[in-house]
Amino acid sequence: MANRFVSAVTHNLLAMKLFYCLLLFVSPAVLAQKSIQGKVTDQKGNALPGANVFLKGTYDGGTTDANGVFAFQTSESDTATIAASYVGFEVFEKKINLKENIAALSIRLEELANELNTVVITAGAFEASDEKRMAMLKPLDIVTTAGAAADITGAMQFLPGAQRVGEQEGLFVRGGSGQETKIVLDGMIVQNPFFSSLPDVQSRGRFNPFMFKGTSFSTGGYSAQYGQALSSVLLLNTTDKVSNNGLGISLNLANAGLNYDYANKNQSVSAVVYYGNLRPLFKLVKQNVEWIHAPEFEGSSLTYRWKPTKNGVLKVYGMYSDSHLSMDSRNPSSESGKMRLVLKNNNAFTTSTYTDSWADGRWTLNSGLSYSRNKDKMTWDGVNFDRFDERTQTRLVLTRLLTGNNTILFGAEAHAINIGNGVDGTLHKLKDRYAAAFVESEIYISRALAGRVGVRSEYSSVISRANIAPRLSFAYKTGRYSQISLAAGQFYQNPDYRYLYLNKSLRNERADHLILNYQIIKNQRTFRVETFYKNYAQLVREFTGQPFDADPYRFPWGATNNGGEGYARGFDFFWRDQKSIKNLDYWVTYSFVDSKRLFQQYAHSATPTFISNHNISLITKKWFEKAKTNLSATYAFTSGRPYYNPNNDEFLKDRTPAVHNVSIQASKLQSIKGNLVIFYATVDNILNTRNVFTYRYTPDGRTRYAVGPQSYRSFFVGMQIMLSRKAKVEKDDF
Amino acid sequence: MKRLFTFALLFVLATGMVWAQNEKYTKAMSDGINALLAIDRSNPDPKSLVEISNRFERIAAAEPKEWLPKYYAAYANVLLGFVAPTLNEKDQYLDKANALLKEAEGIAGKPNDELEILKAYQSQIHLAADPMNRWQTDGEKFQGFLQSAKSINAENPRIYYLEGSSLFFTPEEYGGGKKAAKPMLEKAQQKFSAFKPETAIHPDWGKMETEWMLSQTN
Repeated sequence: MANRFVSAVTHNLLAMKLFYCLLLFVSPAVLAQKSIQGKVTDQKGNALPGANVFLKGTYDGGTTDANGVFAFQTSESDTATIAASYVGFEVFEKKINLKENIAALSIRLEELANELNTVVITAGAFEASDEKRMAMLKPLDIVTTAGAAADITGAMQFLPGAQRVGEQEGLFVRGGSGQETKIVLDGMIVQNPFFSSLPDVQSRGRFNPFMFKGTSFSTGGYSAQYGQALSSVLLLNTTDKVSNNGLGISLNLANAGLNYDYANKNQSVSAVVYYGNLRPLFKLVKQNVEWIHAPEFEGSSLTYRWKPTKNGVLKVYGMYSDSHLSMDSRNPSSESGKMRLVLKNNNAFTTSTYTDSWADGRWTLNSGLSYSRNKDKMTWDGVNFDRFDERTQTRLVLTRLLTGNNTILFGAEAHAINIGNGVDGTLHKLKDRYAAAFVESEIYISRALAGRVGVRSEYSSVISRANIAPRLSFAYKTGRYSQISLAAGQFYQNPDYRYLYLNKSLRNERADHLILNYQIIKNQRTFRVETFYKNYAQLVREFTGQPFDADPYRFPWGATNNGGEGYARGFDFFWRDQKSIKNLDYWVTYSFVDSKRLFQQYAHSATPTFISNHNISLITKKWFEKAKTNLSATYAFTSGRPYYNPNNDEFLKDRTPAVHNVSIQASKLQSIKGNLVIFYATVDNILNTRNVFTYRYTPDGRTRYAVGPQSYRSFFVGMQIMLSRKAKVEKDDF
Repeated sequence: MKRLFTFALLFVLATGMVWAQNEKYTKAMSDGINALLAIDRSNPDPKSLVEISNRFERIAAAEPKEWLPKYYAAYANVLLGFVAPTLNEKDQYLDKANALLKEAEGIAGKPNDELEILKAYQSQIHLAADPMNRWQTDGEKFQGFLQSAKSINAENPRIYYLEGSSLFFTPEEYGGGKKAAKPMLEKAQQKFSAFKPETAIHPDWGKMETEWMLSQTN
């Protein structure tokens, strides 16, 4: 018993000893606090205030002050891992010894790669995007620019590098003709991006700018992923989801439309139907064109999007439209001076694309299949002319993301193109099977220096020719907000199909680009200057043995070869400021181009008629908070263009007067019974300037006609109603 | 016997240490939450917010199994996304909040209404940073996150507070305004009065703001 008692006491004593031992073991550590002090800086030694410095696995730590200095106490002894983190920087970790106080620990953090400290390849590209911070425009800029008439190519005409040619559709880039620019929708070439071309009338684009989340306008030196464009590509990327769930109504002086969007978790559908008739507008706005049947059109489109997997997106887009019009166009070579045109057009375009990525984004797939078909039934003074074209294309691009943001992509595309031209019942057909393969790599040598190297190879069956086109681009970051870029490359395009009916032994036309760019984007201000040299080679020349025929609608019947050549050189600059004045956004563009060519029927080298040496545009946008109104004004200046004067011995020496245009646009948001309504009104050519785009002469050379815009001062009003649109809208809705 | 006793003692000591650890965690969290509460909501000081965010991040690093420290760190970064002077800085904080929220979701392991609500709040502040260009994407996200929060726990008052605040700051012409926000804020107030946070350190913000907004609607 006693033994037991003793043993219990001993146990107790032992336990107490153990307890105190433990206490002793613990308490010195608690009492002996060590202090750690130091400074956190970036690689250049600039203090980082607000950085978090702590011992990993403990609560001990502190925040750096305005001088980047930190100080804290810890009860840890021995060794510990000190960690430092700061927003936008890589986490720093280091083992430290805590036997003694640390008085001056110097920690240098490495900045994470971000949009500001990493160079972006930009030469020749002008982007409108919501997603990329480096983009110079937002998709909304396209619809809110006065003078652009909510037309994508209309807005692009105000960008640096573009020349305005008032009587033709298309994008004329840096001395290139409208045909030298291809419009690409989700990677697929759009065969008929504009409504059918009319004599001396600029046709609108077929696409609604709200369809796109991003637009990239290349002024040259573009990627090996695209081809068949000597000057430029305009890349349009459709949105991945619907913008407005429910029904919308659009009403304006020219058309009425309905659109309906429906979305659930993984799928969405958008449907659009419209009917348009320009008669009411033409009643109100005096026309310079004699319309017999004002343009009347109807159309519909359907978009379906599906997310079958986490990153996969399938988009199917289909549209159909037809139009009917009739006009008396000026024809200097006919006795009456007029020629009656009747045009009926049917156009269908479908495209489906599938994109996906695997292995944490290391592999990305972009694929597509598209079909387009266009039919113009025309009669010119009673003679039937039919135009028909169809294009089936498929495309596949595989991109591999390598370490350090480097990428390599491989891709291929194949097109089947059928073209027909009918003259009074006789159909002339042309068939082209075109294939291309390309590989391109983006290499980041450092955060400040990057390059893109690509090569594209193409084959066209109609001319039985293949080519290999290298593309190269470099960018170097000169400062936190600025960089210089260089781009060079070779670009091939098939000759105009009209030449190929008679001569299939022609070769591709070629352009070589060299572009040097400097840009600085800081604090919502952007400055960009680009200079370029473009060499044209293998251009098609036509020999008729007769005097120059200035009729733009003539069919080229002469002998042809690839003996043409030319150049374009110049520079352009862009300045945008969204900061200096509150709610005011303005940008200024100036483009200079000097160009000469020996091509088509030219007997010797001359500046082509679509070239204007100077293009200036000033665009301003102001938001009035109280009135919920966005006001935009645009001034555009285009210097005189050459025109053919048969009375002048010097070929294309005459110049038209310069073109001036001031336009304004206002849009106002209003809520009517809980539905959002946007009203808009525009006045184009407010000063009623009698602009002349070019002159045409009668065959005897005695009389000349001026070709100007469809109307001088004109206005347009309309509204967009979004039914059952949830509240929560503001300035943001523009 | 001896062995058993030592064992028991060690057990008591060990649980005591665990308890002490828990208490330390709770205390550190409460201290952080109190610091957050002490912030002047009408004019939040970015420096203190950074300090608070850092504090929660340190706790988070030491307690890898707790989602709440990351939650509060994300919350502080959302507030920073509101007060930071430039768009670039705002976005850095908001991106950081997003990253913290992702990590918190990983720790929580199952759908969590508070995390969905904070994601909605993050989208709201992200939208406010550049409304012109973000209303479309962020507006949709905001609604989506609140919907999923509702499907997890429709009783969470912060869902209705955020919905109400969004209406509160929308001009009357567009179906928003103080009057339109009132019923939603009243609903939030009602839910707040019934709401009990799971523990003292679980999210419990928004009541004060709801009441302030309600006082403005009269």
